[in-house]
Amino acid sequence: MPADPIVDPMAAADADSAASARPEGVADGTGEPNRDALGHPLNDSTVDPQGDSGSERWIQVGSSILVDSEQAVREALAPILASGQPKLVLLFCSPSHDLALSAALVADQIGAAGLIGCSTAGELAPDRSCRGGIAIWALGGDGFSVSTGLGQGSARGLRQAASDAAHCLDGLQRRAHTVLVVLADGLCGDQMEVVRGAYDVAGVDVPLVGGCAGDDMAMQATQQIFGRRVLDNAVVAAAISSDAPLGIGVSHCWEPLGEPMLVTSSDGTSVSTLEDRPALDVYLDAFDAPEEVRSDPELFASWATTRPLGIRRRDRIEIRYVSGADFQSRQLLTIAEVPQGGLAFLMQGDAHSVLEATHMACQMACEGLQGAPLKGMLLFDCVARRSVLQDERISEEIRRINAVRGDLPVGGFYTYGEIARTKGAGGFHNQTLVALALA
Amino acid sequence: MNEVPWSLHLLSEVLAAFSVDDPHALRNVINRVAEAVDAEVVAILRQGTISHCIGLNAAEQPLLIAHAKDHPASIQLSSGLLYTYWAPMGEGALLVVGRLMEAFNLEERSLLRAMGRSIQLSAQVLQAVTAEREAKDAALLQATHDAMTGLPSRSLVLERLEAILCGSVAGERVATVLFVDIDRFKQINDVHGHASGDQFLIAVADVLRKVVRSGDLVGRLSGDEFVVITSTAMRQDAEALAARIIEQVSQPLVLAGKLVSHSPSIGIAFAIAGDSAETVIENADMAMYRAKDRGRGCYACYVPSMRLNAQQRAAIEADLRRGVRQGEIRPYLQPIVNLSDRRLIGFEALARWQHPLRGLLAPSEFISVAEDTGLIVEIDTLILKEACAIIGGWRLAHPEQQLQLSVNVSGRTFVDPSLPDHVARALQSSGLDANNLYLEITETMLVEDIDSTTQVVERLKQLGVRLAIDDFGTGYSSLLYLKRFPVGILKIDRSFIDGLGVDREDEVIVKAVIGVARALDIDLVAEGVETERQLEMLMELGCDYVQGYLFGRPCDAEAAEALLNRQETLARAG
Repeated sequence: MPADPIVDPMAAADADSAASARPEGVADGTGEPNRDALGHPLNDSTVDPQGDSGSERWIQVGSSILVDSEQAVREALAPILASGQPKLVLLFCSPSHDLALSAALVADQIGAAGLIGCSTAGELAPDRSCRGGIAIWALGGDGFSVSTGLGQGSARGLRQAASDAAHCLDGLQRRAHTVLVVLADGLCGDQMEVVRGAYDVAGVDVPLVGGCAGDDMAMQATQQIFGRRVLDNAVVAAAISSDAPLGIGVSHCWEPLGEPMLVTSSDGTSVSTLEDRPALDVYLDAFDAPEEVRSDPELFASWATTRPLGIRRRDRIEIRYVSGADFQSRQLLTIAEVPQGGLAFLMQGDAHSVLEATHMACQMACEGLQGAPLKGMLLFDCVARRSVLQDERISEEIRRINAVRGDLPVGGFYTYGEIARTKGAGGFHNQTLVALALA
Repeated sequence: MNEVPWSLHLLSEVLAAFSVDDPHALRNVINRVAEAVDAEVVAILRQGTISHCIGLNAAEQPLLIAHAKDHPASIQLSSGLLYTYWAPMGEGALLVVGRLMEAFNLEERSLLRAMGRSIQLSAQVLQAVTAEREAKDAALLQATHDAMTGLPSRSLVLERLEAILCGSVAGERVATVLFVDIDRFKQINDVHGHASGDQFLIAVADVLRKVVRSGDLVGRLSGDEFVVITSTAMRQDAEALAARIIEQVSQPLVLAGKLVSHSPSIGIAFAIAGDSAETVIENADMAMYRAKDRGRGCYACYVPSMRLNAQQRAAIEADLRRGVRQGEIRPYLQPIVNLSDRRLIGFEALARWQHPLRGLLAPSEFISVAEDTGLIVEIDTLILKEACAIIGGWRLAHPEQQLQLSVNVSGRTFVDPSLPDHVARALQSSGLDANNLYLEITETMLVEDIDSTTQVVERLKQLGVRLAIDDFGTGYSSLLYLKRFPVGILKIDRSFIDGLGVDREDEVIVKAVIGVARALDIDLVAEGVETERQLEMLMELGCDYVQGYLFGRPCDAEAAEALLNRQETLARAG
């Protein structure tokens, strides 16, 4: 049970009345409206008929580490259903579960609430960081308006898909504070394009938060959930508008190892040379790589998890996760663009800096609430940070989060990339914790 | 930290985003400008309109246009105060960059100014490079693709096939070539005109594109010769594809408002280790000729013996051209006899090749080559002219004889619009009465392309020349055309005559054909009569005329006249 759930007894009725106000237009790149098996438009807008007059809002999180998908969903959903009729449900699900079954089971129980989600590389829930489990994050109450959207991309990229998904903002009943939550396929194209595509629609007024779906570090394929549908190469989004402030915190706490280097040749997510030397060799030598990672792709990928690149920005360094290497062409492969002509750092971190970042991101998010009381948090935590902490110290991260949130619901998942745009037009991050605090 | 100002690196990053391979290069560049200075808004204004913009929705964009002349340092948005910088790009264009709540410092303004001009120059370079690349691509396309159908031309087909042969084909599959040739395409061109012929080839190319698998290559080698390059695991796969192509390509087409029937013949060749692209295509070509020999509209797979056959065929073609030029093709005449009194009433003219080395050659030795090469039209008109001259020449020596002449005409000659002119000239120069001339054709030829043949038949009708339908009973046997066209003779196919006295069914057919001829008042000639028994039965059934070895084999003009003289002598004696 949540510490202080604000349950709206009218939530179910609100949700029902909202169904008739759903917009027909949708965007999935096909030009055709997406509809569920019952013919309902899938770009869903749950509009609160009471407008701003009511201000009841609740957030609830449930989780399960049960192996059976049906039992796990039941367990994770129980505290949410006990809180009332949700308006939005985010389902974070390990690929070890049957995602289609899990999505269907959740959809069966939540009525007209919007449902999006994705596969993960670990799940975060109150007092728990797990792997192979399910975490369900939900909000409800007449102080929130919600709409969801879907964009189907292709192997060529996700920019248009992200724009399509972000168009759920068109049908959103706007309140004082709005944010767009974006979940994308983490193994498809340049993830910078997801932010760019979503920003094309959201513009300056709406901040973006979100993360890239994971697959428990198999690095093969990720999946996205939209209602009962399970997709890949897709972007799903939920627009949340609230009467109360929203706060976003971002922190990574990685430190440069030595001087920056000029990116002398790169093409999107492939870095060919740094200072005119093969990027892979520069990287291996700088980190004094052990012999076994110099030729084994799997060992390399695991080893590189805690050794990201940093890209010099105006007043900060953006982290780029090194997802692999091409041992023939001696290229480094990253999950988002490393621009040619820019400055790159080799970055290092340890458990201490990761835990510091956890604290800073949560703190920053809460500070964004402008003094309003926190009701819950949504976290997008890079899987590489978890690798630094390893199982024995992961509980420390939970303690750091709890130190900020108190006894309030918090949930999220371990990602392959994080999104947080609060200023400027960019906002894709790696090896970072992004926290969304809701009052 | 690096001693080089960070803004230079950012400028370098922005310019690196220009790529001739990216159709959205300019859009990505303005994203990078925004990311470089943490700006929320970037737009390009040209002549009072916004060509690119991020960060502002459609309702807010007019704000930028409204301020395009006064370039204010800030604009109030609903989200807050947007500090702006208006960087000239040249030619009246502006790069507008806006950041919420924080003005741009001197270094940033300097960077944005440099970016504005650089973006414009880069965009111009990009445009020029793109135009040059498109021109090169167009030139390459022209050099490697057939302009009419858009299909890869011979050189590209060979290049691609060579690459396939040098590389590896997945699993147990082998590179396979299907050589597709349109049967009697020259006839389509001749009858319907070259524009229609081109339209036809474009339609065939479209059909081929649709019928093959994705990944297969369709090319046009020349004229009506197409090629499909694929890979197959089993011979049956290639045969199934060939059957599919034949079915689809054979669908009648409307050309110049007329429905045209046609068919393709397909040769299939499978590459083996060491084969060159030329060799595999040659093999498929040879197999295609085998398909044509089998009656067209079908496919054949290459076997090594075909190469020898092809060489022989090429030699025959060259020899035949020489033979036609030197007058070695001559008419031989086979007598046609009235069954009731066994009197000679005329002759059928048949082509023979008096070869200087190989002696007298029957049509089976050269007609198929003549048809494939188009020499058949020349041969047909030559036989027509010479046979008319022979029979016409006997008018003076045998004034009492009203001899009939049947001349075989191939399908290709029959749709040739100049045929009636040739006939008119042959009649005029020989003095032969048009009533005594029959052009012998098959019923299939008459019906197959009825729109094309109607004009020729009408003109022949005006000349007074009639048609003899060869091999009657083996084709459409439609009574409609017998009434519509000037048919004077039906010739019962020898296959039915062979069955007389042996096969009851053949007897019934012959009887039915005789019934048709009687009802329509058309004369009947039974072909291939070789025995007295056949003769007796034909007499019983009421047949009018016969021809066959029983009454004489095809012979030269001298021997034919000797037959005529003997008949006159017998008549005088009787």
